[in-house]
Amino acid sequence: MSIMQYNGGCLVGMKGKNCVAIASDRRFGVQALGLSTNFQRMFSVSNRLYYGLAGLGTDVQTLSEKFRMSVNMYKLKEERDIAPTTFASLVSSTLYERRFGPYFSEPVIVGLEKDDTPFICATDLIGCINFAKDFVVTGTSSEQLYGMCEALWEPDLEPEDLFETISQAMLNAVDRDALSGWGAVVHVITPTQVITRTLKGRMD
Amino acid sequence: MARRYDSRTTIFSPEGRLYQVEYAMEAISHAGTALGILADDGIVLAAEKKVTSKLLEQSASAEKVYVLNDTMACAVAGITADANTLITYARQQAQQYLYTYSEEIPAELLVQRMCDLKQGYTQYGGLRPFGVSFLYAGWDSHFGFQLYHSDPSGNYSGWKATCIGANSSNAQSILKQDYKETGITLANAKSLAVKVLAKTMDSTTLGSDKLEFATVSKGNDGKIAFHLFSAEEIDQLLKDENVAQFQEEDS
Repeated sequence: MSIMQYNGGCLVGMKGKNCVAIASDRRFGVQALGLSTNFQRMFSVSNRLYYGLAGLGTDVQTLSEKFRMSVNMYKLKEERDIAPTTFASLVSSTLYERRFGPYFSEPVIVGLEKDDTPFICATDLIGCINFAKDFVVTGTSSEQLYGMCEALWEPDLEPEDLFETISQAMLNAVDRDALSGWGAVVHVITPTQVITRTLKGRMD
Repeated sequence: MARRYDSRTTIFSPEGRLYQVEYAMEAISHAGTALGILADDGIVLAAEKKVTSKLLEQSASAEKVYVLNDTMACAVAGITADANTLITYARQQAQQYLYTYSEEIPAELLVQRMCDLKQGYTQYGGLRPFGVSFLYAGWDSHFGFQLYHSDPSGNYSGWKATCIGANSSNAQSILKQDYKETGITLANAKSLAVKVLAKTMDSTTLGSDKLEFATVSKGNDGKIAFHLFSAEEIDQLLKDENVAQFQEEDS
């Protein structure tokens, strides 16, 4: 019984050509008992910056509320949107503040920088940032996601192709994990728009 | 007469007055005018900027009108540095409420939080009161659009239209005459605000460099929108009301 495997759930983020994508499953349960098929794990900071949180459900919710508060204050004081790298540092320091009594949640952050360069990163539960060049994964099916991403990902995928790639990585990884799945949501972020799609997956 | 009882905020005078609080209000009466008008579909906040110079970097932050959160904004009159501290406090209180309840803070509640802080400085600590008055323009789902005024004593009240700062009593009486009780739209409120400012401002010429103008209203998407007018928009508004810089009282 590990606290990080109590509620289940997973996320993946990928870089594409002038675009990024983030996907999550929708399961929320208490160990073997599944309770919800529409648990929100991904949140938007702006229309160019999204993040997701895997791990203990209550910490997912509390952290998203904490980040909303900090980003709102940032926007009011700085009079501009927060940059992806800055937000990543905010996430990292917020998690490290609880170094010896941490939030049981591991985030994935994806977005476009000011000059439209794609940005992705993930951190561990105490804020160590992993600036990846290709993809980032987190959650109970992270190992499966690593395998799927390594096999399917290639650089410079167009938004439509990135969507197909990230969706297949997610759907097939969660099918090999009892605690993840029960639906999936994907956001594809480009300089002009964000396309959100709900995937049809196995509901077992 | 007052000298013996005015140097500490925490003591009354024999007549039962708090001189430091009164002196704070005196500081505000020298500051740039700010007025607020409540309409059925929104609120107008307009203010006269006191600090104007060609050398001033105009594009930098606001001096009189500030956003507090997604549903409220405020106009200040008084010591700008004091105002900045209080505005940061208000913003933090609003976010703390949002964090706790996942709902935006009701307008009157935010006003109360500010006033409780201001009142503290009149009763303990031995620190001088804040030399700022605020006009709060906000919306909540309980009471719709609301306009409040608070002063250094920590007292507040809700208004349909009010004015603070220099020439405020003058402006207040004009507002009392011209404000229509029912059926006032945001457009009416905007033109009334301009008319009142034109009559009471210190400077003889009204220009976009001397004014800050903002509205709080509901957008087509149902979300509350705060619109700070740009220099061009203010000029257009002044032109529409025939009080633009080059059309003074001589017509």
